[in-house]
Amino acid sequence: MTRLGAILATAIAIGFGLLTTWGLLAGSGKIFDITNILLQLTVITVAVTILLGILNLFSIHLRRIVRRSRGWVYSFALIASAAAVLILWIVGAQQTNHMLLETVEVSVESALAGLVVFALVWGAYRMMRRRITWASVLFTIVLLIILVGALPLPQTSALIGVRSWLLAVPVSAGARGILLGIALATVVTGVRVLIGQDRSYRE
Amino acid sequence: MDSTTQTITTLIIVLALVVMVLVTQFIRRRKEAFPMRMIPAYESIPLLIGESIEAGRPMHISFGSAGLGGNNTALTLASAELLYQVASRNQVGSTVVTASDPSALPLAYGTLRRAYASRRDRLSASSVRWYPAGTRSLAFAAALTGMMGDERVSGNVLAGSFGPELALILEAATRKRQSSIAGSVDLDGQAVAYAMADQALIGEELFVAGAYMSDSASQHGSVVALDVLRWLLILGILIATANAIREPVLAALRGGK
Repeated sequence: MTRLGAILATAIAIGFGLLTTWGLLAGSGKIFDITNILLQLTVITVAVTILLGILNLFSIHLRRIVRRSRGWVYSFALIASAAAVLILWIVGAQQTNHMLLETVEVSVESALAGLVVFALVWGAYRMMRRRITWASVLFTIVLLIILVGALPLPQTSALIGVRSWLLAVPVSAGARGILLGIALATVVTGVRVLIGQDRSYRE
Repeated sequence: MDSTTQTITTLIIVLALVVMVLVTQFIRRRKEAFPMRMIPAYESIPLLIGESIEAGRPMHISFGSAGLGGNNTALTLASAELLYQVASRNQVGSTVVTASDPSALPLAYGTLRRAYASRRDRLSASSVRWYPAGTRSLAFAAALTGMMGDERVSGNVLAGSFGPELALILEAATRKRQSSIAGSVDLDGQAVAYAMADQALIGEELFVAGAYMSDSASQHGSVVALDVLRWLLILGILIATANAIREPVLAALRGGK
C-alpha cells in the first residue's frame, strides 16, 4: 500500500510538473490557462500552511509552559503577546496594533540589526585567529578596504577608486559566478523532480 | 516568454535530463567513473553527528526562509535531502528542524518521518518548529539563538536561505561551543557563513548533499549534469566574449600595423 502511494505521488508530481513546465514555456493558450490555475492553487495551499505554522508554534510553546521546560517564561510571554494582538484585532483596535508593531517589534529588530555589525566584526577577527590562510588574509584586506573606503573622510579618498573597482569587477564577477552555479543547480534539482528522482515524494 | 528564451530554456532542461539519465546508467555500472572533489562540510557531518550522539544532545538543522511554492522551492528540496541524510545517520539521537517559511513544515515532518522510519520513538511533534521571520528575519535569528540554548543543541547545520542575520545565529553557536555548518543562496548569508561557520557550503554545494552522503547513482548523475552545464555555460560566455571583442581587437591590430 505504501509502495502504491509512493507510485501515485510520483505520477502526480511528474504529471503536474510537466504540465506546468509546458504551460510556462508556451506562454499562451489553453495550456497556459491551466498552468495559471495550478499556480493559483499552489499559492492558496502555501497560504494555508501559515495556519499550520501558527498551530505548530502554539502547540510547542504551550507544551513548554505545561511541562515547565527551560525557558517556559519566554514561551508564556510569546503566547500572551500573540493572544493580545489577536484580541486587539478582533475588537477592531487596529491603531493600537499598529502602534505595538512600530514601537515594540521594529525597535527590537532595529536593535538586533545593530548587533549584526558587531557579530560580523567579531566573526572576521575569529576567522583570522582560527587559522591564517591566504583566503582569510585576502578576505580581511578586502573587507577593510570596502569599509574604510566608505568613510566620508578626505584622508580615505585614495581608497574610493580601489573600493569602486573591487565592487565593480572581482566582487561582482564572483557573485555572478556563485549565482549562476546556484541557478544551474536549481535547474538540475527541478529536472530531478520532473523525472521522479526526488526522494521527498518517492518514498 | 520570447522564443529565444523558450528555446534556450528547453535546451537546458533537455540537456540536463539527457546527461542525468546517461550518467546515472553509467555510474550504476562503474561507480568510480566520475570522481567528485572533497567538500569539507560534508566530510565533517558524520563527526558532528557522532558528537551529538555521544553527548546526548540534539542536532539542529535549519532551512532558514526557504520554502515551497516560490523561487526557493528547489533549494528547499535540496535542504530536505540534507536533512534526510543527517537525520537518518542520527537515528539514535534526536534532531530539531527549524524554518521560518511555514510551507517547509510538512516537508520537514515528512522527511523526518522517513529518516526515523525504524526509530519513530525518537520523533516528537516538537521536532519541527516554525519561527516567524519578521520584516528582516532578525526575529527568526533571535528565536534560533534562544532555541539553541534551551535545547542545548550539539551541532548546527544551517542550509537554506539566510541573510546577514546568520551572523547572530553563528555567533551564538560559537559562544555556546556548538559546531556549525552553514550555507545560503543569499550572497550576504554566504559571506557570513564563510567567515563565521566552522565549515561553509558555497553556492551549488548546498544542492549536492544526496550525492556526497549517499550511494545514489541518480544523485551522482545530477552532480555530473551540473558540471556539464557549468562547462557549457563557461564555453558560451567565452565564445560570446570573443565574438564581442573580435572587431575592436582586429581594428587595434590593423591600426598598430
